[in-house]
Amino acid sequence: MGTARGRRGSLLLTLLLVCVALACGDEGADEGGPPTGNLSLVSTLGGLDTVGYERATEIRDFVFPEDHGPHPGFRTEWWYVTGNLTSDAGRDFGFQFTIFRSSLSPTEPGGPSAWATNQAYMGHFAVTDIDGGAFEATDLFARGSGGLAGAQTTPLRVWIEDWVLESAAAASGQDRGSAEGVGASGSETFPLRLAADGDNFAVELELEAGKPIVFQGDRGLSQKGPQPGNASYYYALTRMPAVGSVVFDGETHAVTGLTWLDREWSTSALSDGQVGWDWFALQLDDGWEMMVYQLRLEDGTPDPLSDGVLIDPQGRRIPLEWGEEVEVVPTGTWRSPEDGAEYPSGWRIRVPDRGWDLTVEPVVDDQELRLAFRYWEGSVAVEGRGEGGAPVAGRGYVELTGYAGFGAQGTTEER
Amino acid sequence: MRDREGPSIDLIDVHKSYEEGERTHEVLTGASVTIPAGQRVAILGPSGSGKSTLLNLMSGIDLPDSGTVRIGDTDLGRLSERDRTLFRRDHIGFVFQFFNLLPTLTVLENLLLPLELSGRANGVRAGRGVDGSGVGAEEQARALLDAVELGARADAFPDRLSGGEQQRVAIARSLVHEPDLLLADEPTGNLDEDTGDRVIEVLESLVAAGRTTLVVVTHSRELAGRMDRILELDHGRLRDG
Amino acid sequence: MRLLTRASLRYLTQHRLQLLLSVLGVALGVAVVLSIDLAIQSARTGFRISAETVSGRATHVLASDVGFVDEGLLASLRIDLDVPAAAPVVEGYATSARLPGRALRILGIDPFSEGPFRPYVAGGPTGVDVSRLITTRRGVALSSGLASSGGLTPGDSLAVTVEGQAWTLPVVEVIEPGDELARAGLADVLLMDIAGAQEVLRMTGRLSRIDLRLEDDAEGAARVAAVESALPGGVGLQSVGTRSETMSGMIAAFDVNLTALSLLALIFGMFLIYNAVTFSVVQRRQILGRLRALGVTRGEIVRMILSEALWIGALGAVLGTVAGLFLARGLVGMVARTINDLYFAVSVQGIDLEPLLLVKGWVLGIGATLLAALPPALEAAGANPRMAALRSVVESRARRLVPRAAAWGAVLCLVGAGLLLIPTRSLAVSFTALFFVITGLAFATPAGTLVLVGAVRPILGRLAGTLGLIAARGVGTSLSRTAPAIAALVVAVSVTVGLGVMIQSFRGTLVQWLDGTLRADVYVSLPGPGASRATGTLWPDLVDDFVAHPQVSGYSTYRGIDLIREGDAFRLVALELDPRGESAFDFLDGAREEIMSRFRAGEGVIASEPYVFSRGLEVGDAVTLTTDQGERALPIVGVFYDYGSEQGTVMMARSLYDRLFDDPGITSLGLFLEDEANSDVVVGELLSIVPDGRAVIARTNDSLRSASLEVFDRTFQVTAVLRLLAFVVAFVGVLSALAALQLERARELGLLRASGMTPGQLGRLVVTQTGLIGLAAGVLAVPMGLALSVVMIFVVNKRSFGWTLNMEVGPEVLLQAVGLALVGALLAGVYPAWKMARTSPALALRGE
Repeated sequence: MGTARGRRGSLLLTLLLVCVALACGDEGADEGGPPTGNLSLVSTLGGLDTVGYERATEIRDFVFPEDHGPHPGFRTEWWYVTGNLTSDAGRDFGFQFTIFRSSLSPTEPGGPSAWATNQAYMGHFAVTDIDGGAFEATDLFARGSGGLAGAQTTPLRVWIEDWVLESAAAASGQDRGSAEGVGASGSETFPLRLAADGDNFAVELELEAGKPIVFQGDRGLSQKGPQPGNASYYYALTRMPAVGSVVFDGETHAVTGLTWLDREWSTSALSDGQVGWDWFALQLDDGWEMMVYQLRLEDGTPDPLSDGVLIDPQGRRIPLEWGEEVEVVPTGTWRSPEDGAEYPSGWRIRVPDRGWDLTVEPVVDDQELRLAFRYWEGSVAVEGRGEGGAPVAGRGYVELTGYAGFGAQGTTEER
Repeated sequence: MRDREGPSIDLIDVHKSYEEGERTHEVLTGASVTIPAGQRVAILGPSGSGKSTLLNLMSGIDLPDSGTVRIGDTDLGRLSERDRTLFRRDHIGFVFQFFNLLPTLTVLENLLLPLELSGRANGVRAGRGVDGSGVGAEEQARALLDAVELGARADAFPDRLSGGEQQRVAIARSLVHEPDLLLADEPTGNLDEDTGDRVIEVLESLVAAGRTTLVVVTHSRELAGRMDRILELDHGRLRDG
Repeated sequence: MRLLTRASLRYLTQHRLQLLLSVLGVALGVAVVLSIDLAIQSARTGFRISAETVSGRATHVLASDVGFVDEGLLASLRIDLDVPAAAPVVEGYATSARLPGRALRILGIDPFSEGPFRPYVAGGPTGVDVSRLITTRRGVALSSGLASSGGLTPGDSLAVTVEGQAWTLPVVEVIEPGDELARAGLADVLLMDIAGAQEVLRMTGRLSRIDLRLEDDAEGAARVAAVESALPGGVGLQSVGTRSETMSGMIAAFDVNLTALSLLALIFGMFLIYNAVTFSVVQRRQILGRLRALGVTRGEIVRMILSEALWIGALGAVLGTVAGLFLARGLVGMVARTINDLYFAVSVQGIDLEPLLLVKGWVLGIGATLLAALPPALEAAGANPRMAALRSVVESRARRLVPRAAAWGAVLCLVGAGLLLIPTRSLAVSFTALFFVITGLAFATPAGTLVLVGAVRPILGRLAGTLGLIAARGVGTSLSRTAPAIAALVVAVSVTVGLGVMIQSFRGTLVQWLDGTLRADVYVSLPGPGASRATGTLWPDLVDDFVAHPQVSGYSTYRGIDLIREGDAFRLVALELDPRGESAFDFLDGAREEIMSRFRAGEGVIASEPYVFSRGLEVGDAVTLTTDQGERALPIVGVFYDYGSEQGTVMMARSLYDRLFDDPGITSLGLFLEDEANSDVVVGELLSIVPDGRAVIARTNDSLRSASLEVFDRTFQVTAVLRLLAFVVAFVGVLSALAALQLERARELGLLRASGMTPGQLGRLVVTQTGLIGLAAGVLAVPMGLALSVVMIFVVNKRSFGWTLNMEVGPEVLLQAVGLALVGALLAGVYPAWKMARTSPALALRGE
C-alpha cells in the first residue's frame, strides 16, 4: 500500500506550482489569500504532462550521499524537517522547515545566461513557542539560479536565500558550524546544519542522523495509484537528535531536541476526490515512533489508501493496516480566526493489537500557516500507552490540510 | 401720464470751448438763461453757433468748462458720469437731426429700449405694467406708434422707413418713457418742408402743454414761431428773440 | 432677451464674416495651445505610465553610471543584506518588422522576485504563466494589445532585431492587462524571463538594474543606509521617483519651447480678436453714441461689448477644442518622435485627454478674447454721445497716439532687454523678455508704418498717379483700424523671420560642426530606437573584422552611455581616437594639442559646452562619476563645442574608462580609410562580412552627415508646424482686419465709383492699399525679425541649451517674409475689391 507522504506530496506539489505561478510573496497572503482566479491553474495541474520526466517505476538501490541531494529529473522533491526542542531553561519549542523543489519542465531551457533554469523552490518555515502559546510562520520562493536557491549533493546543500539544510562540513567550508560536528558521525553528510529565519524568529540547528534511514513503501518505492510510475521514492530519518538555538520574539534560546526528516521525489499527478489529510508523526520517549495518516475523501470518508507505520527503537519498520490495525478518533475542534474554518483538534490513536492507546493534543491551538496555501501544521504532546501497553509520553507533529482556504477548493475544482 | 410738471432749466454763465487741431474754438462764452417748467422753447442761431452744444449740456451728455447747468433741482455738474447717464435715461428725451434710430432693432424695439433702460419693462415680451399703472410697455409703445401713425410698421427695421417716418419714430421713442424734458436737435433739418410740418404736428400733439419742458434747436423760424418762447444764440450767449 | 443683447446679436449676425473670423482666431489660438499641451502631455503620460508600469511598486533602484550591475549583486542583497524585496531587471529595446515603428521594450525579470513589484507578472487572473516563461528559452509574454496589433497568439514566433541581432522569440503568453493603466503601460513591452533577456540583449552576467522596495519608515531608512554602505563600487542607490523625474526633466526645455510657440499662436489669435472687436466698435461708433444719448451707461456698453467677446470666445474655444484634438493627434507623433530621437524611448498611446488642459485651453481662449476685447470695449464706452466724435476726430487722435505708442514700445523693448540681461537660465524669463520685445516692437509699428508710407508716397504718386496717392493716404488716415492689423502682421512675419533665421543658423552651425567633427570615412553603429543616440554594443569579433579590412588604415572607437542619476542626466563617452580624429574637437578655450594630450593621458575629461554651461562649470572643475573604484572626481581639462546632446556630453580617453569601469563594449566605430579607398565600396564590403542574423549600420561620412541633418530637420518639424500655424492665425487676422477696413469704406468707395472710377480702378486702389500695408509690414518685419533671431540665438539658445550658434541670415528667409506679408495683404484686398466692384455705387452711398 501507499505511503503517507505520497499523498501529501501530490497536493503540496500543487501548492508549489500554484505558488510558482503566483510567484507569491507575502503580498498574496496579505491581500486576502490567493486569488480565486488561480483555481483554473490548479485544475490544469491535475492533468500535468509527465512526459519527459523520470518516473518512479521500479525498486532502486538508493546511493548515499547522492540521494540526499536533488533529483531534477523528477518533477517534485522535498526536504521536510519537523522537530520539538527544549531550551536549557526548560522552555519548549516546535518548528517546521520545508524546502520544496520543482522542475517546471523536463529539461533546462539552456542558453548562455546563468539564470536559465527549470528549477523552482519554495520554503515554509514555522516556529511554535509552546510555553508562550505563540506561533509564527513564513514562506519563501525563488528560482533555482542566480545564487538565490538551489540544491547540490557534494557537499549536501539545499537552500533558498539564507534558509539552508546542508552538511555541517559544507557549512564549515563556508566558515560556519563547528569542527567537532564534522568528525562525530564519521559521515561526510551528517551532521546537518539547518538554518532559517523569519521576521523575528529563527532556528539554527545541527542534526545528527540518529536512527538508520527508514525506506518507506517497498524498499523506498512508494506506490500511490494503480498505474505503474504513479509512485515516489521515499525515505525518512525519524529520530534525529538536534542541538542549536531558537530565536523567538527576538530572544535567543539554546536548545536540544528531536527532529524528523522526510525525503521524497516523484513525478506524480494528483488523484481525484481527495479533499485533504490528517498526518501524525509522533516520537515517543520509549524509543518508538509512529507515523499515521488519514486521507479524507470528498464524501467525508477516509480514503482506503490511508495508512501508518511504527518504527521500533532499532529503526525497524512495522507497517500497519488502516482501519484494521490502527484507528484515529478526533476528540475536539478548533476554529480558524481567519474565517472560522473548523479543524479537528486533539485525537485518540489506538493500535489495539499492540496495546497502543495514545492521546494527542496540540500544544498551541492556533498553529495554522496562513500563507498563500492555508493549512495547520503544529507541535503536539502525546500521552498514553505504547508498545505492549506500557505507559509512554512523547512529542510530535501533526499536519491537517483541506479544512480551509484553497486546498479544499482546489480539489473541488479538479472535478 | 404723470401729473407733475416738467422741470425748469437754469443755465448760469456757461462757458464751453473745443480743441480743433491747434486752435481753440470758443462756443459758449457765458450763456445764461432760465426756462420755467413746462415751457416750450425754440433756440435759433446760425450754423456753428453752439446750438447742439447747448443741448448736449442740458442733457448732461457734455459738461461745461465753467458755469452751472441745473435741471429742476439737479445740478448736472455735481453728478458723476454714471449718474448723469441715469438722470438722462429717466428724465430726458432726445430727438436728433439724423433720426438716430438703432438699425439693429425694429421700430417697436427702438421704442421699447428707453423703457427697458429705465427699468420700466422687464424685457419686451414681459412688458406688463409701467409704474404699476397697468398699461403694458409694449401696448404703450404701440399706442405711441399709432399716435405717430406708424403702428403698421412696428416690426420693420428703420432702414425700411422714409426719413419722415424715421423721425416720427424717433419722436415717439423720445417720449415713450415720459420724459420731463424733451430736447430736439433740428428735428426737421433733414426733411423736406411737408414732411417737416407733419413731424412738427406730431411733436406738438404729443408734448402736452405744461407737462413736458421742450427745447427745440432749429433753423426754422416757422417752427420757432409755434413755441412759447424763442431764444437766440449769438456769439456764445443767449438772448430772447 | 434684453434689447441690448438682441441689438448686439443682430449686429454680429449681420456681420457674419467678421464674426467668423473672430471665432476662427480664437479657435486657432485655442487649438494650437491645446494641441501642443495635449501632445506634450500625452508624450509625458506615455513616458510616465510606461515608467510606472515597468518600475511597478519599486521605490529604489540599484544602478551604475555605465548602465549595468553585476548579476551576483542580487543574491548578496537578498541573502547577505536580507533585503526581501529586490528584483533583477534586464532591459533593452527591440524592433520588429511585425510591429513597425514601435520601440519594443524588452523587460527581463525573474518572476519569482516579482511579488512585491509588478502585479501583471505576479499572477492573478491577468498574470503570466511564469513556468512557461521561465522554461521556454527566449520566451516572451506580451500584452493583448501588442499581440493583436502584431497578429500574435501563444505558440507564434515574433521575429525581432535587438541591437542589430535578429532573434525569433516564441510567444508563450498573452497578458490581459487588468486595467487601462496596465494596458497603456504594457503596450510596447516584451516581457521575458531574465535569462532570455540577458541572452538577446547580450548582457550575460549583467543586470540593467535591481529594483528595490524599501518602506518609507525608519526601518526602510535603515535598510537604505545598510544597502548603500554595502554597495560595491560603481553601483548607486537611487529613488525611482527622482530617477523618472530626472528623465522627465530632460524634456523640460523642449516642452517650454513648444509651449511658448503655442502661446504665440494664441497671442496672434488675440490680435485677431482685437482687430475684430475694434472694428465692430468703430463701425458702431454712431450706434454706441446713440445708446449713450439714450442713457445707456458706460459700464453697460463695456459689458455689452465684452459679452459679445465672451460669446465669440466661447464659440471659438469649443471649435478650438475640437480642432485641437485633431491637431494633437498629428502633433503627438511628431513630438514623440523628437523625444525618441533626442532624449529617450517613449511610446505614446493616443491622446491623454487631461481635463485640466481642456480647461486651461478654454480659460486661455476666453480670457485672451476678453483681454483683447477690453481696449475696444473701453473705447466704445468712451464713444461720445455727442455726434462730434466723428471718424476724423478718432483718426486724428489715433495719429496723436502714434508717437506715444512708439515711446511705449521703446519702453517695453527696454524692459525686455533688461530681462534678458538678468543672468538666469530660466526659459520662462527668456520668453517673457521675448514677449516684451515683441509687444514693444508691435507698439512701434504704426510709427514705422507712417514713416514708411510717407517715404513710399511720392514713388506711388509717380507710379500710380492720384490713385496711388489716395491709397497711400488711406493707409495713414485709417490708422486707428490699420495699426493693429499691421502690428499683427509685422509680429507674425517677424516671428517667422526670427524663427527662420534661428533655425537656419542652428542648421548652419550644425553643418559646420558636423564637417569638423565627422573626421572618419566610415561610421559603424547598431540600429536602435533613437536616431541620434547610438546605443548597444558592437560584436567584438565584428569590430576586429572591420578594423582588419585592408582599406582601413586606422579607427576610433566610441562607447556612449546615457547616464541617468538623481537630478542629472548626460551622455558619458569613452573615446579611443585615431590621431586623425583629434582635430574633430574644437575647444572654447585653450590649445587643442595641449588639451588632447592631457585627455589622452587620462588626466581628466573633456566636456561639451552645454554640459558645463547648464551646470555652471568651467575648466578645472570636476565631473564626479561612480566608478568601479567608487566615486571619482575627474577634472574637466577642456570644453568643446557640441551640438549632439542637449543634456551635455562628457568624454574620457578609453584607457581611462577601462581603468574605471569593467565595460569593454564599443558602441560605435569610426574607420579611417586609405587615401585611394572609395568609402561607398568599403561600406559595401564591410556589410558583406556581417554574418546573417546580425545588422549594423555602416555609413559613409556623407551619409551620416545627411542622416544627422535629417534628424535635425525632424526635430524642428514641430516648430515649423507651429510657425506655420502662428502665421496662419496672423494671416487670418490681417485678412479680416483689412477686409473689414475696406468694407467699412464702402461709402467712400461708392463715392469714388460714383465720381467715375471704374470697378477695375477701384479694385486696384483697394489692392494697392492693402498691398502697401503688406509691404510695410514685410519690410518692418525684417529688422524686427532679425532682432528677435539675435535674441533667440544669442540669449535663449545659449541660455537654455548652452549652444553657441553662428548667426546665419539667408536671403530666402527674408524674401519669404516680405513675400508672405505682401501676398497675404494683397489677398486681403481682393475680396473687398471684388465686392465693391460688383456693388452699385448708389447702394454703397445709401448708407443706413
